[in-house]
Amino acid sequence: MKRWRAASLTAAAALALVLSGCGGTGGGADGGSGGGKGELLVWVDNTRMPAAQQYKKAHPDLKMRIVTIPPDAGYVPTKISLANRTKSGWPDVVFLANPAEAATLASEKFGYAAPLDDLVPKSVRDGFTPGSLDTCTFGGKTYCLRNDIAPTVLWYDATLMKRYGYQVPKTWAEYQRTGLKAAEEHPGTIVGAVNGKYGAGIYFGSSGCATRDTLSLTEVHIDLGQANCTRVADLLQPLAREKAVTTVVPIDPGFAKFGKGDQILMLPAPAWFGDFMFGPAFKVPKGRIAAAPMPTWSGESKPYAGQVGGGAFLVSAHAGERTKEAADLVRWMTTDVTLQAEQPTYPAFTAAAKKWGEAKSKDPYYAADPMPALTAAASALRPGFGAVRFEADWQSSFNDTLVKAIDSGGNLRSALGSWQDKLEAAAKTSGYTVG
Amino acid sequence: MKTLTTPRPSAVAAPVPVTPRRRRRPARSAAVWILVGPYTVFLVVFGLAPAGYALWTSFVDKGSFTGGRDWTTVFEDYRLADAAANVATYLLLWLPILLLTVLSLAFTLHARPGRTTSALQLIYYLPGAVTGSAAALLWLFMVSPDSSPFSPLLKLMDIQSATEALSGGSVIAVLTVMGVAVHAGGWIVVLYGALNALPKDVLEAAQVDGASAWRTMWHVKLPMVRTYVAFVLISSFASGSQVFVEPTVLSTGAPGQISPTWSVNQLAYTYATQDGDFGKAAALSLAMLAVGVLAAWIVITRTRMYATDSSDSR
Repeated sequence: MKRWRAASLTAAAALALVLSGCGGTGGGADGGSGGGKGELLVWVDNTRMPAAQQYKKAHPDLKMRIVTIPPDAGYVPTKISLANRTKSGWPDVVFLANPAEAATLASEKFGYAAPLDDLVPKSVRDGFTPGSLDTCTFGGKTYCLRNDIAPTVLWYDATLMKRYGYQVPKTWAEYQRTGLKAAEEHPGTIVGAVNGKYGAGIYFGSSGCATRDTLSLTEVHIDLGQANCTRVADLLQPLAREKAVTTVVPIDPGFAKFGKGDQILMLPAPAWFGDFMFGPAFKVPKGRIAAAPMPTWSGESKPYAGQVGGGAFLVSAHAGERTKEAADLVRWMTTDVTLQAEQPTYPAFTAAAKKWGEAKSKDPYYAADPMPALTAAASALRPGFGAVRFEADWQSSFNDTLVKAIDSGGNLRSALGSWQDKLEAAAKTSGYTVG
Repeated sequence: MKTLTTPRPSAVAAPVPVTPRRRRRPARSAAVWILVGPYTVFLVVFGLAPAGYALWTSFVDKGSFTGGRDWTTVFEDYRLADAAANVATYLLLWLPILLLTVLSLAFTLHARPGRTTSALQLIYYLPGAVTGSAAALLWLFMVSPDSSPFSPLLKLMDIQSATEALSGGSVIAVLTVMGVAVHAGGWIVVLYGALNALPKDVLEAAQVDGASAWRTMWHVKLPMVRTYVAFVLISSFASGSQVFVEPTVLSTGAPGQISPTWSVNQLAYTYATQDGDFGKAAALSLAMLAVGVLAAWIVITRTRMYATDSSDSR
């Protein structure tokens, strides 16, 4: 009996210890963000750190703590999910390197993102590039401000174009013809990359194919049977057969072989590829790369851009009395022209983008000033491409269907049907009704 | 088993002198508690209590009983079948290869003792010294033809980039090779140690009887180390069925190639962290625990792992 009593006492004590750890709030008295210490808690990635420190320096009266977070996809929702569990430790301001996560953080389940409509004046919000805040807007409410955007343009090697005697295509039909010609005349040459978000966001995004059109936080429109989806499959099918488009993801170190081998004739890709991929990763020498607007789809007069990348700032719904300070920081970080003009990627705030472009225009790396094409692309973001909670599945299901079909010489139109099924399942599992 | 029928002591019989045994009992009992106590506390704190809490979480949300909602949602999730198939395929490939590698190398080391044995032991162990995320990162370089020392081999297999190495079904092949390399070394050391502890006279008797090295291994050594083999099986099944770090880290090297819900454990993690749904995460984790316990029970009973030598000899 004694032994049992001792054993049960030990077990009860251990259980109490564990349960107290599990159930405790572990935070301050208000249980709110900032660790309950009355300080403005800011989470930013390494790149945004100097700007946040600059703000702190300019506001000596503000008690502020800046924490560096990795830019990895999924990191912020993971941490917020744990903070929700313990009901403390939420950051008042957070930077999202993956703006699609705004859909997760604004959802009812997370309840983290605060609507900014009353916190940031409409005049300020109107200063952002048209369409850039679409990824932050759900059911008419704006939950984040974009720091930078990643409109896609048609990057091309001006030297190769001249050497081969080709013209930069203005329509997708011309793009296809040029691609096939290049593959025949100069085997190994590529005119595009189709993999994950680099395929889905660039080709399907610019075509306006409804792969992830958010109607609200709980409704999404997916319809891959429409002509603006099938035309992408028809565009890519012969290019894939002749290997004019590759399924190697451009951020794979293995992609550099195309650059080193003078094999990248064209590459529809986001704006940031100009500075961060062609030179540093693909090793294309300076004076060769130029940007043109995305080709125009048949029946349309405007060259629409897709999107791959960009970041956003969010304010916590748990910020309480610090909400105003948090919103002010976010507004400054995203709209200060001097600050934004020096940031590495295309600013979402129009006035800042103009200033940012002045330096870009003079960059000797480019064969020609890329800014006209980049500016045109920024103002031609295809509407409907929203932030969804199934972003990761959106990418992997694209690879499971379309990329697999390309690799195995399958039919891309039929693969669209499988992608539709997978997207619908992913959306429903994430709590969306599919319209 | 012998049974002795002892006469029942009569009510008036003199009490058996038990004093000396009673004297030993407290010390023995304390020793038992000292030895078993820390494990019991760890089992309760980090095993039973979290499992109990998970059970509670899977049925109760914000203070209200949810019934089996989380459990049914999990089993209806379209990703579960894919994840389970991935893990099952991985186990089917990895477990036999691992076991075969461990057994053959450990037995070879033991059959041919010599100066090179300890050096070989170290060589076998080395790949296993790097584990977890570090191993996955290392393997990410291994499968990238630009940085891999095996790039000629990769090119021979027509793998030009990490994207190709990690897309589609090749993930399982990469994980299998990686799993064997990471885990085999440690198990070889364990099994070799067990083989070294075998009674010399039994092995000599086998030799005197003219048993070949193969027969000695198959009929003498293997039955005697079967509990260790069972332990390798149980532990490997548990770690294999819960595969998480490897596909997670590999996916960072080639984003979009490996689904974030590739394995069942990853799916449970996604429920908790990306969907903010701890109920579903708890339900799936418990389901996995049940599978692990069932597998362990099958192995334990089939191999008579806990049968003691004395009960064996009866």
